[in-house]
Amino acid sequence: MPALATMTTRTLKRKRVTREEPEQPSRSPTPSSSEAESDSDDGKLQDIFRKAFEAKFKPLDVEPKKQKIETVVEDVEEEDEESDWSGISSDGDEPNVEVVEYTSRTQLANERASKAELRAFMSSKPPTSSTPSLTQKKHKSKSSSDDDDPTESSHLKNDLALQKLLRDSHLLSSAAASAAASAAANTSLTATGAARHKSTDLQLLALGAKTSIHAQKSMPMAHRKGIIAKAREREEKRRKEAREAGIVLEREVKVKKKEGGKERERGVGGPSVGRFKGGMLRLSKRDVADITGHRGDRSAGRGGRGNGKSRRR
Amino acid sequence: MTEPEAQPLLRFTGHRHLRTRLLLATLTGRAIRISQIRSTSHTHPGLTPTEVSFLRLLDAVTNGSSIEFSMTGTTLVYRPGLITGSSEGLGAIGGVIRHELHKECASRGVSWWIVPLCILSPFSKGNMNVVFHGEGCVTGATPAGDISADTVRTAILPLYRNFGIERNIELRILKRSCAPGPGKSAGGEVQLVFNHQVRLPKTLHLMNPGRVKRIRGVAYAVGVSGSNNARVIEAARGVLNKFVPDTYIFSDVSSAPLVPSNDKNNPGGKKKGAVGFGISLVAESSTHCLYSADMSSPPTGGTPPEDIGKQAAYQLLEVISQGGCVEKSAVETMVCLMAMGSEDVGRLAMGRDVVGSEDVIQLGRDLSEFGGSGWGLRDAGEGRDDLIVSVVGRGVGNVGRKVA
Repeated sequence: MPALATMTTRTLKRKRVTREEPEQPSRSPTPSSSEAESDSDDGKLQDIFRKAFEAKFKPLDVEPKKQKIETVVEDVEEEDEESDWSGISSDGDEPNVEVVEYTSRTQLANERASKAELRAFMSSKPPTSSTPSLTQKKHKSKSSSDDDDPTESSHLKNDLALQKLLRDSHLLSSAAASAAASAAANTSLTATGAARHKSTDLQLLALGAKTSIHAQKSMPMAHRKGIIAKAREREEKRRKEAREAGIVLEREVKVKKKEGGKERERGVGGPSVGRFKGGMLRLSKRDVADITGHRGDRSAGRGGRGNGKSRRR
Repeated sequence: MTEPEAQPLLRFTGHRHLRTRLLLATLTGRAIRISQIRSTSHTHPGLTPTEVSFLRLLDAVTNGSSIEFSMTGTTLVYRPGLITGSSEGLGAIGGVIRHELHKECASRGVSWWIVPLCILSPFSKGNMNVVFHGEGCVTGATPAGDISADTVRTAILPLYRNFGIERNIELRILKRSCAPGPGKSAGGEVQLVFNHQVRLPKTLHLMNPGRVKRIRGVAYAVGVSGSNNARVIEAARGVLNKFVPDTYIFSDVSSAPLVPSNDKNNPGGKKKGAVGFGISLVAESSTHCLYSADMSSPPTGGTPPEDIGKQAAYQLLEVISQGGCVEKSAVETMVCLMAMGSEDVGRLAMGRDVVGSEDVIQLGRDLSEFGGSGWGLRDAGEGRDDLIVSVVGRGVGNVGRKVA
């Protein structure tokens, strides 16, 4: 079989050579183009010939330099082919190559699952098949948004803007009314000043913020108590009036008192002061201050109701 | 319950497939009578402790069931009630049913109870929250062929997603344990939370098994060195990595469970439960079909971890080679849910060996006995080796949720 193959290639090669042979002299009439370049007289002659030829036939586009490179390359190819075939024929005599599968220990060891995957698989929930393809999903969504036509994205944008406007409309109207009362009517749909702050606050709350940014964080305790009491009183009044008028209101949400974590543990045998942990009684600064006592009696401070200053947690 | 009296008792004989029959009876609400349960055995006639424990479990999660035994325990009449789950006031404390598995139940893994309970759970009236504990609670794979609790979680519970049941399902392995040898006790603890109840499961059409794209697994070592896990994992990956490069096996090392030592001198004393190690493997295909394999060290010990890992890997390859969209251990779950679905034809591709196995054939017969229509079988075609099994649902679904 190899012998036959070589035969065919030989013949093919011969053919190719024979086909190229008439072309070569047509491009460069002299057998060696390098000589033609070096010799100026020969070049002139060539030019004359070429002009005569081109006057009769089509113009020639010939680069003798390239031609040279091509021929060289072709020679190399032919040589390669020759060596290839001899290689295969010799391969048949050699014994078959043994394939060894080698998976090294280190390679197995250093492939580690990500923490997220571990959590997803080893949690008590049945593992979902979509967990590892998180990155893929992200990528997909991105590409889909890119692929979407611009009208779709603009619709989405307008939709969001409309939602925001609806949410802020009451702020804007009140702001506009006040502005109209004071000076020139502010008819623009974008909130400015205090209204802008309020709108941001509403947006944050809608997105899940726990408290409003306008809620005052620190104030005197009596103040806060008053506010809370007033709010409760107002709510009670509203409910009472509704009850008397026979209006069914929404169900009351009962606020659970949960301060379990903060509350001081008073187990039997526990210390009456400080925290006993790890075989050590720990006293906080406040405890020490209470004991050294420049704030008065400790027990009185705890028991006293009206004494707003002795704040113990 | 007076309602089931209208229908005559379904009669079965023999102890084989007893659990499946009890499960189907509870699902369909038909009363059954099983006679000649190991009546020929001179040493152990009647129900085994595991079967009695399963009856107790059914009693705990239903309301209004009645169970009658004959004197010898070779005949059983079971009239199922409504599946109520772990409702308050019916055996559940704090919304949790604690089901103790006694020492005699250690011959079976806890999955023997969990898998049928999972099938019941979607049709329950309330939530299902059951803790299995006790000296007979084996979370690992057992020599009896039960799958481990890990495999239940990773290979059985995800199947419910196909039926639109996917929320609030958890299987917490609180304490691990392996199969105990003679004279030892297991002492595992597993909690099943199944809080997604449906009116009717969705109709399933699962025809294309796809190609296996990844393999996950859990190797567990209970009361033995964690290096056993590493060795098991390496052996298993040595086999599987060639086929699926996306192979990860997680390792879980835990101490031996403590069980009360029933010692008169030391009444509060505890002793170590069964120790051992094992592996659970799950292969997932591109169409989300799951194949699993389980292997654990025998109670007698003496098997190197490498062998366990290799055997598990080969077992997984065998299960995958059987083809189809479901493996043998998951057929019961899939087919029962299909049969309890809406009155529509669901289709499922199964391997020939899977369909031809004794349990599956008997499951089909029992289903038709309980009033289901017969299965339709046809070739998958196009040079595939699988069979397409068509199952028509009963359209009854969850009786407790009819109004809601």
